[in-house]
Amino acid sequence: MATESASRSRSALVLAVGQIRYQILVLLRSPLGFFVSVVIPLILLICLKALLPGEPVGALPYAQWLTPAMCAFCLLNACYVASVTGIVLAREEGILKRLRGTPLPAWAYLAGRFGSAFVTAAAACAVIIATGVLFFHVRMVWHAFGYFLTAALMGIVCFFVLGAAVTVLVPRSETALPVAFGSMLPLAFISNVFFAADPPQWLHDLAYAFPVAPVATAMEDSFDPATHSWPMPVSGTLVVLGWVVAAIIVMALAFRWEPGPARAALTINSPRRWRRPGHRGNRPDDEGRRHTGRTGRRRS
Amino acid sequence: MGVMSGCEPAIEVVGLRKTYGKVRAVDGISFQVRRGEIYALLGPNGAGKTSTVEILEGHRRRSGGEVRVLGLDPGDGTRQFRERVGIVLQSGGIDAELSVREMVSLYAGLYARPRDVAETIERVGLTAKSRARARTLSGGQLRRLDLALALIGDPQVLFLDEPTTGFDPNARRDAWDLIAGLRRGGTTVLLTSHYLDEVQRLADRVGILSRGHLVEESTPAALGGRDVAGTVISFRLPAGAGEPPGGPWDRSPERPDTYVLHTDEPTRVLAAVTPWALRNGVELPELSVVQPSLEDVYLRITGRTEAGDGD
Repeated sequence: MATESASRSRSALVLAVGQIRYQILVLLRSPLGFFVSVVIPLILLICLKALLPGEPVGALPYAQWLTPAMCAFCLLNACYVASVTGIVLAREEGILKRLRGTPLPAWAYLAGRFGSAFVTAAAACAVIIATGVLFFHVRMVWHAFGYFLTAALMGIVCFFVLGAAVTVLVPRSETALPVAFGSMLPLAFISNVFFAADPPQWLHDLAYAFPVAPVATAMEDSFDPATHSWPMPVSGTLVVLGWVVAAIIVMALAFRWEPGPARAALTINSPRRWRRPGHRGNRPDDEGRRHTGRTGRRRS
Repeated sequence: MGVMSGCEPAIEVVGLRKTYGKVRAVDGISFQVRRGEIYALLGPNGAGKTSTVEILEGHRRRSGGEVRVLGLDPGDGTRQFRERVGIVLQSGGIDAELSVREMVSLYAGLYARPRDVAETIERVGLTAKSRARARTLSGGQLRRLDLALALIGDPQVLFLDEPTTGFDPNARRDAWDLIAGLRRGGTTVLLTSHYLDEVQRLADRVGILSRGHLVEESTPAALGGRDVAGTVISFRLPAGAGEPPGGPWDRSPERPDTYVLHTDEPTRVLAAVTPWALRNGVELPELSVVQPSLEDVYLRITGRTEAGDGD
């Protein structure tokens, strides 16, 4: 007979570290996400440099501007795109549901995901910077490198939580990638990630209402030897923080662990909204189907 | 909190309700599962089995009623609750690129007092596959891995939602042995199943769900009063042979030459019918005298409630 004493759970920190190891193991086993996060920005760096070899950006050689810009793009891929697709896939395959039945706290799972995003982002940025320095005569601006790291860390956190929050809107695995790229690419284009464009004021304002532009611009400015102070304006910092807070609120209210359409989450979280006492159900077949979604097999 | 006396049931369900919009998937069911017991919920699709089990697992919220598992409310979603239950999902939830051993070790790391990883893999019969990645496993092997993941936390209550669906006969038999072994270890098991033979083989008690109601609860052997409700006698009779005695006999319109009788007195009926046949010089082809199978009883019970419940 099993003992009755209530067993103490493992410390949440140990669980979070275990989840980070697990996610990194998964990352190494199916390296497609890693490949996308590292290789696509690298190809873009090489192609854009080849297309616009001599074009200076302000007082800077093009590669000096493009290298940190591509690092920002790495962050978007490794943290935003990968967290949208990775979490939706895990949810639709029932991995989240299974973990939800164990003592693992929700945040420890997300910490694991964050760890994997962080490692990917750091590795991708290191590859980009090394390529820039070795092949495109990019100079390291060590006195501003702390700013670069700070801005990058803000980007990693912000893009990750945004990606995790966006999973709420993604109904199934097939739509994860289109939603992720469809929301990220237009924003990247208007946010000084691919080109140091001089857009009309309204487009500039629009871009700065989202967190990509402040982060990317701060990272680019940190590679300018003329930068001697924290390059992100207060307004930009507030925009990034505001998006982080909004994303955390969305996750707290609507994050889903079960596969299936968003309606199921609504049913789980607020059963009373759907309840109408006094009506007699005559379609008991519906039971179960709502929660299984397309990945669920036959239900009782 | 969480400290219970030995006689308190492992699972207690009182007036449980679950509604989806207008549909009452679970409509006021009550049952108890004693410690160390294997209790099966049996029912047709849509009867409310999965809703009930998922509420007990803490995966869904109930609309009404009371539920206790090991004295705890699964709806609270506490880690203390999840330390002590094991859940076998109907499908999915396994990282295809991780090996059996990696998956089981990963889940072992989530519990305060897990079982031994190698021993658990051995127990579900996957030792030979322990280095194989999950994507290379067959359906039956995946379900066994599923079971290993549910067992690794050394649960006091195990939820098995259709544990052998999709198994070949050998794998089913293995799984049954495994589940029967859990009972010997004192684990309480709540099982749902479509398969009557499975329930008959494993369960100490069975509850039949139909349209969200618990319509019958008994041991598999006594289900539907089968141990007293008698015997089915049937035979064919050529047209024009006359009405046999011992009746009244049932004849279905589809097979008017087949006579069927449910009786508690098979000896008396046979003592009347066979001399009558000999006297009239007619043979009784396909004469059979059988106990109704669990399946017959099950169909009779669920069919009766579906018909009586129709609106």
